[in-house]
Amino acid sequence: MGAASLDTYVHRESVIHRWSPRLKLVSLVALMFAFATVRQLSLVPWMLGLAATLYGLSGLPVAFLRQRLSYPGLFILGLVVVLPLTVGDTVLGQWGWLTLRQEGLMATLLIVGRFLSILTLGFILLGTTPFLTLLNAMRSLGLPTILADMTLLSYRYLFEIAAMLATMQQAMRLRGFGQRRQRWLRVNGQIMQQLAMLAGNLLIRSYEQSDRVYKAMRLRGYGYGGKVVVGQSAAAQPGTLSWVLAAAVLTAAVSLVIAEGLLRL
Amino acid sequence: MHIPDGILPAQVCAAGYAITGLATWYSLRQINRKPDPTAEIPKASLLTAAFFVASSIYIPVPPASVHLILNGLLGVVLGYFAFPAILIGLFFQALVIGHGGITTLGVNAAMMGIPALLAYHIFQSRNTVGKMLKEPTRTGVFSFLGGALGLGISALIFLGLIIFNIPAELDAGAERAAVLTLSIGHIPLAIIEGMFTTMLVLFLRRVKPELLEG
Repeated sequence: MGAASLDTYVHRESVIHRWSPRLKLVSLVALMFAFATVRQLSLVPWMLGLAATLYGLSGLPVAFLRQRLSYPGLFILGLVVVLPLTVGDTVLGQWGWLTLRQEGLMATLLIVGRFLSILTLGFILLGTTPFLTLLNAMRSLGLPTILADMTLLSYRYLFEIAAMLATMQQAMRLRGFGQRRQRWLRVNGQIMQQLAMLAGNLLIRSYEQSDRVYKAMRLRGYGYGGKVVVGQSAAAQPGTLSWVLAAAVLTAAVSLVIAEGLLRL
Repeated sequence: MHIPDGILPAQVCAAGYAITGLATWYSLRQINRKPDPTAEIPKASLLTAAFFVASSIYIPVPPASVHLILNGLLGVVLGYFAFPAILIGLFFQALVIGHGGITTLGVNAAMMGIPALLAYHIFQSRNTVGKMLKEPTRTGVFSFLGGALGLGISALIFLGLIIFNIPAELDAGAERAAVLTLSIGHIPLAIIEGMFTTMLVLFLRRVKPELLEG
C-alpha cells in the first residue's frame, strides 16, 4: 500500500501548504466540480493551465504526480484506445480495419483533459494537507461524528491489518499455497475456499481486536461526550493569503462555468 | 470497478453526492436507533479497514485473476454500517492509490453502497422468505444471492453510467448492445463473487457466528 508516500510532502513550505485547510478544501473541490462541467474542447487548455499553475505553486515534485497517475491512468488508457476507433461518424483516417473517428477523438481529448486536471487538484489537496488535518477540516464543515470516528479508526488500523494479511499470505505460501498448476480459465474451488478462509480469518482477527480497542477507548472516556481534536486544528482563523487564494480559485471556477455556458449557446 | 474523475459530467457527480448524502443519512439514522451505537463504531471501523485490505485478495483464474469487490459481503456482515464503510473505503482508495476519484466519490459510493444495503436485506430475509430451507443451505443460498446481486447490480449501474455518459453521440442501438454485451460478460464475475461470499459466510457461521448478526 503506497500510503507512506502520501504524507511525504505535506510538511513543505509553499503558499498552498500554508493555505487554511478548510478554505483549501472548499475552493479546490469547487474548482474540481467546475472542471467536471467543461464540455467544450476549447476550455481544456485553460483547465490544464489552471491545474498546472496550482501544482507549480504547491512546490510538489513532478515525480509525485507521475507516480500517482499510473494506477487510475490504466482505465483512461482503455478509453483512449477504444473511443477514437469506435465512436462517431466523421472518419479522419483509415488503416485496414482501423478507423479513426473525429467525435471519438474529441471525446477522448475532453475526458483525458478533465481527468488530468481534476486528478492534479486532488493530488495538490492531499499532497499538501496532512490526512488528520483534512479530516478535521471536513468535520468542521459538518461531517457527522460517526463518519469522522469511523474514518479515523479505520485509518489508524488500516496499515496494521494490511501487515497482518501480508504475514498470513506469507505463511500460506511457506506451506505450499499457490505452487500447484491450475488449468486455464478454470476457478479452482479448493483455492477459492482457502482464500475465503484467509479473508474470514482477517475479519475475525479484526473483530476480536475491535473489542479490545473499544474497551480501551471506553476506559479513556469514549462515548461520554467531549470534543476530540486530532492533527492540526482546522478551525484556526484563516489569514489574508488564504482568503486571497480562495477568492482567486473560486473566481476561476465561476469563470469556467460561465465560459462553458456562453460557448454552449 | 470505480469511475475515475473526468468521465462523468458535473450534474451526474452532483446527483451521486445527493444520493450518497441521502443513503448516508438513512444509514446513520438506522444506526442511531441501536441501543448503543458507539459500541458498534470500533467493530465497524476495523471491519471497514479489514474489508478494504481483503479486497486486494485475487482469485487466480489462469492466465489472469479476478479482483473481488466484496460489497455484497460487506452488506451481509455490517448491515447499515455497510454504506458508511463503503464511503470511507472509497475515500481511502481515492486517497491512497488514486483509485476512483473525488468528484466521483458520491457516484461510486451510491453504485456500490446501495447494492450492499440490498444484499443486507436479502441476507436478513433468510429467516422469513427462506424458512423452508434447512441450515446451512439457507445461509449459503442467501449469502450467495447477497454476494452475487451486490456485485451484479453495481456492475449494471457502472456500465450504464459509463456508456450513457460518454460525451459523443452513440446511437441508441449501439448503447443497448454495449450494455447487454458487457452485462453478460459480468455474469461469471457475479457468480464467483457469490461463491466466495457463500464460502466466507459459511466459514464465519462455523467459527464466529456473532459476526453475522448484522
